[in-house]
Order: sequence, then structure tokens, then C-alpha cells
Amino acid sequence: MRKRLALAGVALVLIGYPFVFGSATAINIGVLVMLFAMLGTAWNLLGGYAGQISFGHGVFFGLGAYTSTLLLRQFGLSPWAGMLAGAALAAAVAIVVGWPTFRLAGHYFAIATIVVGEITHTIVRNADALGGARGLSLPILPGSFLNYEFHEGRLPYYFVALGLYTVALLVTLEVERRRIGFYLRAIREDQTAAQSVGVSVLQYKLAAAALSAALAALGGTFYAQYVLFIDADSVFPLSLSILIALVPILGGAGHAIGPLLGAAVLIPLSELTRITFGGTGQGLDLVIYGGLIVIIAVLQPGGLVTLPRRLHSPVAPGRKGSA
Amino acid sequence: MDILAQSVTSGVLLGLILALSAAGLTLIWGVMDIVNFAHGDFLMLGMYGTFFAWSILGLDPLVALPGVVIALAAVGVVVYATIIRPVLRGSVLAQIFATFGLGILLRGLAQFFFSPAFRQVGETASSGIVAAGPVSVGREQVVAAAGALIVSLLLFAILDRTTLGTALRATAEDRTAAELMGIDSARMFALAWALGAGCVGAAGALLAIYFPIFPDVGATFGLLAFVTVALGGFGSVTGAVFAGILIGVVVNLAGVLVDPSYKFAIAYALYLVVLSIRPQGLLGRA
Amino acid sequence: MRKKLAAILAAALAITGCVQPGPVGSAGSASPPSASTAFPKEVLIGAVYPLTGSQAPTGLDLKNGIDLAVELINSGKTDFDLPLVKDGGGLKSLGGAKLKIVYGDSQADPQKGQSETERLITSEKVTAMLGAYNSAVTATASQAAERLGTPFVNPESSSPTLVTNGYKWFFRSTPDDSMFAENFFQFLDDAAKKFPGKVAKKVAILHTDDLFGSDVNKFSRQFAQQYGYEVATDAAYKANTPDLTSEIQRLKASGAGILIEASYLPDATLAIKGLKQQDVNFQGILGMDAGFVDTKFIPNVGKDAEGLISREVWAKDLAAKKPLVKQVNDLFKSRYGTDMNGTSARSFTGVFVLADAINRAVSLEPGKIQAALRKTDLKGAQIIMPWDGVSFDERGQNTKGRGIMVQVQKGEYVTVWPVDLASKELVWPVPEWSKR
Repeated sequence: MRKRLALAGVALVLIGYPFVFGSATAINIGVLVMLFAMLGTAWNLLGGYAGQISFGHGVFFGLGAYTSTLLLRQFGLSPWAGMLAGAALAAAVAIVVGWPTFRLAGHYFAIATIVVGEITHTIVRNADALGGARGLSLPILPGSFLNYEFHEGRLPYYFVALGLYTVALLVTLEVERRRIGFYLRAIREDQTAAQSVGVSVLQYKLAAAALSAALAALGGTFYAQYVLFIDADSVFPLSLSILIALVPILGGAGHAIGPLLGAAVLIPLSELTRITFGGTGQGLDLVIYGGLIVIIAVLQPGGLVTLPRRLHSPVAPGRKGSA
Repeated sequence: MDILAQSVTSGVLLGLILALSAAGLTLIWGVMDIVNFAHGDFLMLGMYGTFFAWSILGLDPLVALPGVVIALAAVGVVVYATIIRPVLRGSVLAQIFATFGLGILLRGLAQFFFSPAFRQVGETASSGIVAAGPVSVGREQVVAAAGALIVSLLLFAILDRTTLGTALRATAEDRTAAELMGIDSARMFALAWALGAGCVGAAGALLAIYFPIFPDVGATFGLLAFVTVALGGFGSVTGAVFAGILIGVVVNLAGVLVDPSYKFAIAYALYLVVLSIRPQGLLGRA
Repeated sequence: MRKKLAAILAAALAITGCVQPGPVGSAGSASPPSASTAFPKEVLIGAVYPLTGSQAPTGLDLKNGIDLAVELINSGKTDFDLPLVKDGGGLKSLGGAKLKIVYGDSQADPQKGQSETERLITSEKVTAMLGAYNSAVTATASQAAERLGTPFVNPESSSPTLVTNGYKWFFRSTPDDSMFAENFFQFLDDAAKKFPGKVAKKVAILHTDDLFGSDVNKFSRQFAQQYGYEVATDAAYKANTPDLTSEIQRLKASGAGILIEASYLPDATLAIKGLKQQDVNFQGILGMDAGFVDTKFIPNVGKDAEGLISREVWAKDLAAKKPLVKQVNDLFKSRYGTDMNGTSARSFTGVFVLADAINRAVSLEPGKIQAALRKTDLKGAQIIMPWDGVSFDERGQNTKGRGIMVQVQKGEYVTVWPVDLASKELVWPVPEWSKR
């Protein structure tokens, strides 16, 4: 009951936000918060619940962006349909890549995801058929929901992003409720033990990866429609993959609502420090952004989700290993 | 044939530098199972330290090297005490988050204090060319690679031959057992950070002999260091050296024989191939 | 623990606090008056550039050029023969209104550049925009300005595709990479006339694999064919690469006599050192601006830079034909400690293009400024560039721009091409590394 009330409260805040803060900057920050909450939620399925830390989710994001954009440019296919195609392709790629790499333990897996991301980035950057380094511009169509483009203000993008986030959250809550959620957490806590009681580890990891990749790809299409220009350096870079992971880590990995909390803190922090101090050209924005990340990590190593718990019991909890 | 000889030689030289910067990373990783995402930025600090020693004090990078190593070791201990120790009680994810933030912070500080301009150490005692038969390389690179080899060997000797090294390895092997034997793991961790950061400092000093220096320079080498460490096997200094040389040579051969655009991608693909055969890296513990 | 948390919250509030109430340091001056009778005190101009991140060094050059232009326009100096400046400062037709730049940091990221442009236009209420150096950022930033109906002057992005979108609010004062690539071959043809039989017909291209580098490769190949040269090989690499050995080996194996190179500073440095160390010689190395004309290039590379040729849009020895160039450069040097370069000179010029248009519009209405920009007709004598002037075609491209070639001689960039602007004779071919 309390959980439902809390969810209703969050929903109210998210729907009301753009009506309270209506400036272009506030809406843009709102859009990015929802986008990264959504990407973080996607990452969370694999990284948070199953404990498979990926620094390669940019690959799925980029696949989504490129698939829908190419289908739109070549065949005039609606980006909504393109978005689903991108999600399907990303899920397939996740399974193909996941098959061999899921054997790798811990950090070996994490580095493998980085490597896969870098290889993909290099290939797309040099592939003339995909626009190469020149990138792809999206055709500017009349703004409408059907066209997935809005030109009179950015508010509709906010609600599309909010809708995508809701989809990702519902998927996560469903996973949590079902047997698969239980198994994924069992794999995270002790893979060997899970295996020994008959959990098909690889199968569940692959299922989590496919879901996670498909959701991340939805975000990629959204980005393409929002910016109307994509190139390899903006949708495939390592820094994006890392940001996708940092959002849920900050908020609390393995908690359904964690990515939203993380995005709500990290994205405004990054945007506002850049807006306020970036114009000096002296790197002050990075100093403050980086400094605050360190401080948060030091004070709140379990993620922001654990904040209320710690406020209730000021004694610091003991070491909590989850890897 | 000449091209191959040249490529392999240059690859080995590059590989030794990669190996040294990776050795520091693998040490910390092995001892306390922490990924230092600010590793490349430590390298950047080492390079700036060397540059200012050269430009302000007029010191040759090789002369400045011991001072840079000590300075970076101190930075390592401070980072351990102020940032790493508190996040140890969190999950591995918190450690990723903290060191990633630290990397951004260091880059921002570098830009704030040193300006974003590209710096370069000018003529030094190491400047010149070394030619042998068809192979011709910069003396800077030869000196840097030789230095990297010597420092790597020193590190290996410290780990393998001293009681301190034994205690360090014992902590890496089994923290609880080591503590029961009376080894203070907190001190061992601090030592690992001092040694690890010191190694990166040495790599930075050697690299500064010939490579341009700017606040973001760590990104270029940081990623390669990660892959080198994983390819060699976490915690294995010898593995890092082999992996570094292997990557250096593969990168250069791929650039000549296949296509320079894909030379790093091919080296990364090599990681996937090797790991699919040996999931624990070349010399890692299974 | 609670105290620490409170400290974080306080810090977070402090940040949001200084953003929410309004733009920093612009109390009450943000919006232009609606009635045309009252003159605004200040005209706000937005400028989006990569001020932090890997491209921050260039961002700093750009910012310095803009700041100096604004200082000159606002304070006025009668001895400077620049429009607005010599008339005593400020925008004359608007009652001497001063320019004020509001910077946005793109971090060289197209999405950030786009949202910064939107922020500057809608929240900071800037009258017009300057930006954004990186062609990919200019693509998204100019699209935002187009949507919001705000004039956008782009002083320095050289990707040819930028003016092909049919935008009505976009104006580019710099020539583009296709013209620059053609300049290489016109230059080689002229060099061949001067040094018959000494200019090879085989070129090799070394370039970054990003937009800039691949455009240089594409257009160099196109013009090579048109001018009767053969491209023996091209090698692409990722900017800030740690090593260029295999690329250099490929260039060597190709047997080309001339090298065309598009690189940023770290790579340009690495390439020159690598060529020397591996004793790979060319009759001439033609750099494509960027790293080769960075203010740190000659100090960093030292005497190995001698003889290197780069295409440029500006050089300080243009002062020989244009005293104004020396005046501005001296002032620049006294402010920022380095000479101007092609990057800062172009952003400097962009401010004048925009200020001149606003002054002629006699209004801050976007439509009137846009119309004034269309009618821009700055003469060659009024700008510090070696161009015939500035005036825009229907695509928004300046048609009077042109490139020059500079060569490093005795540690300085000197203009060697075209002949009518040259201050020194071309040295060709450059001596082999072993004979220096």
C-alpha cells in the first residue's frame, strides 16, 4: 500500500514537473532525466538484478538510433515502427554477443563489454554506408505524434520520454514479481549456488540481456528523434556507455526506482554545472561535477535508494557486497 | 619485410609503455579488487609533473622521474585514505562511481590550473634517432621503453623478493587469512595504492619524453591500460607486460597489414578471442 | 552523517540557486525593449563553443578572438580601421549599445550544443548566435536556431554539408573544406610552374577518421583527379592516437612524393616526429590547418616544423599588405600572450559580421537582422582576413572567402601562396631529414 502511494506521488511529480518548470533549459533537463532514467532502468535489469556489469550499453542505444533512422531515411518507415525494429535487432545482438561473453567472470566481462563497444564504434565511424563520420541527419517532417517529431516547443518530447520510462519501469516491476527476477538475483548473489540448485544461469542472463538491450534501443531512437542528427561519436561512445551505468549505480542498482533517483541527481548536476560554470572555459564545471560525484559516493556508497533507511538509523550499515 | 621489422620493433616499444601503465593498475586490482577508473588521469598527472619539472626547474624527464614517482605515490595514498577506504564498505559499484568521479575531478583541476593548452617537453638528453638495419626509431621511445622495462622489473622484484611484497601478495590471495597472520590489510591497501600510482607516475614521466600533454590525455591510454590488464590477467604484473607487448605488436601489424582505421579494434577483438579460450586472461589465476 | 548530507544538499541548492533566478551578471538587462524608441543598453549575443573537454584548447582560442572583437567594438578605437570600432564604439545606430556575449559550453557534443543554443535563445534571450566550431555541433545548433527563428553566424566550421540544408537563418563567413582541398592542388600547380619537374604527381593522405578528416580525404581525392594527380594511399586514424607507426609505414610504402595531412595537434606532433625518426621524406608536407597552425605547434615540434606547409585562412605576416592585421594581432598578443591564429581570427571576424548586420538593421528584431545579414557587404579592407570581403549567397555561404598557404620558415608562419599575398618565397622541396 505504502509502495503504491509512493509510486503515485512520483507519478504526480513527473507529470507536474514541466508545468511548474517551463523554461527550455528545464524541459531539456527533464527530457534528459527521463531518457537516462529509462536507459538506467534498462541497464539495471542486467547490471543491477543479474549483477552483470556492462559498460557497453551504448551499443544497444546506438543500434536503436541507427536502425530507426536508416529505415526512416531509406524507406520512409515511421520511427515508431523503426523503434521496434531497433529493439528487436538490439535484443538479437545482445544474445549473439552474450553467448560467449557471459562465461567471463566479473571484471573480465565488464572489460569485454567495453571492447565490444569500442569495436562497434570504430566500425560505424568508418562505414560509409552508415554515413561514416559524417553522421546522419533526420528529415524534418511536420511536427506530430505520428511523425515522432515536435517543433513547437520540446514539451511533447518530455511526455514521450516519460512514457518510455514508464514502459521500462513496468517491465522491471514485472520481472521483479516473476520467477525470473528471483533467479536473476540468485545469480547475482552466488552464481555457483544458483547453478547447483538447477537455475539455468546462461539462459536467464541471456533473457535479461535481451530485455535490457531492447529497452536501451528504444532510448536510442528517442535520442535520434529528439536531436534529429546522429553520428557514431554521439550515440556509440564509451562515455555514454559509462553514463548509462553510472545513473543506476548512483541511484541504487537492483532497485526498480534507483535509476530514476540517479538520473534526477546526476543529469541536473551535469547540466547545471556546465551551464553555470562551463562558460568560463576553465574546467570549473568538471571540478564541481566530479567533486560532487566523489562526495556522494563516499557518503552514500549504497546508492541514493539507501538514503531513507540511513536517515532512520544513523548508524552506518555494515559492508554490503553485491558483486 | 623491412616494414614488418619496423612495425614489430615499434610495437614492442609502445607495448612496454602500455605494460608499465597497466602494471600499476593490475597491482591495485589484484590486491583489493578495485577498478580505478581514474587510472588514465593519474597518468596525466605524472605527465604534467614531468613537464613542469622540465619547464620550470629545467630537469630532464629521466632526472625528474624519481620525484614524480614519489609525488604520485603520495597522491595514491591520499586518494586511498580519503576516497577509497570509505567506499570499501559499499559495493563494487560504489567504487566504480567514486573513481569515475575522481577522474572527472582531476581532468577539471588540470584544465583549471594548467589550462587546456597542449604542452610538450622539448629537446632532452633522450632526443635523437636509433637506427639498426632497416629499422629506425626515435631514441625517446627506446629510452621510454627501456625505462618502462626496468621499472616493471623493479616492481616485480619488490612483489616477489621482499617481505613487504609477500605480505601484499598474501593479502591479494586471501585477505582474511592474511589478517589472521597479522598482516594489517589497511596498510597493505595503502601500499598497493602507493606502488600502483607510483608505477603510473613512472609511466607518465617516460611517456612525457615524447608524447604531447593535455588534460584529456589519460583517456587515450587509460582504456588501453584496462584492456592490457584484463588480457594479461588481473593481478599479474608479468601478464601485464606480456599483454602490453602483444597489444603493441598486434596494433602495429594490423595497421600495416589490414587497415590503420581498424588497428585498435583488431587488438580489442584479440582480447575477445583470447578470453574465449582462457577466461582468466593470459597469466591470471583461474 | 546527517551533517554531511546537509552539506551536500546545501551545495546542490547553491548550484541550482545561482541558476534559477536569472542569468549570471545580467541583472535587468536581458530583454530588449519592445518599443523601438528606447535603445537597449546591451545587445546579447549567444556563443556556443567547446569550452571544456578534449577540444578546450581550440575553444579558448575561439573565445579569445570573440572577447577581443567585443572589447574593440564596445570601447572603440579611432586608430583602428575596423567598422564600428573607428566610429567610437558601440552600435552607433542603436544609440551606442554595447555587445555582450553569453557563452554556452558544448563540450563538442552535438546534443549539448543544441540544448545550449536553445537555452541561450529562449532563456537568456540572446538576439543572435555565434558558433559552434565542431561541424557536427554546428549542424544541430544551427538547426535549433532555424527552428527558433534566430540569426546564426558560423565563423569557422568548414564541413561543406552545413550550407546544403536550405536554412534561412544560417550564415557562414568561412570558406569550406572543399575549397581548401582545391587550394592544395592549385598551390601544387603553381609550385610546379616555379620548380619545373620537382613537384611529384603522387600524393598520400593521412587523416583523422572523424568528419573533418574524412571530408579532407574525400575532397582531396575529388580534386586530385580533377587536377591530374594520383592519390597513392590514404590512412585514417582516430584522433589522439597513441601511435602512428603503421600509418607512416604505409605512407612510406606508397612511394608518394607529397603528403596531405589533416590532424589535430597531438597527432600532428606525433606524425612529424615519426616521419623524422623513421626517415620518411616528402618533397612537401601539406597540413590541413587544425593541428598544424595551433599556437603550440611550432613551440612543441621545434625545428622539425621547418619547411612544413599548411593551408590557412590567416597569418600574421598578412600585415605586410594590411597594417590593420598587425594592430589587432599586437593587441591580441598583449592580452593573451600568443599570436592570433586562423581560428581566433575567424571567430573575431564573425563578431564583426554579426555586429555590422545588427547595426544596419537598426533593430533587434530577428527578421530585420536576418535581412541585414543577407545584404552584408564587408570589403576586404574592413576585415583582418585575406578575403575579398564578406557577402552571402542564398545558401548563407560567404562567396568572397579564400584560403592561403603558409610555410614554417625560421620558426614563423609566412604566407607563400597565393602570390599576390605572399610575403616570402616558397622553399621547395624541403631537405631530407638526414640533411638538416
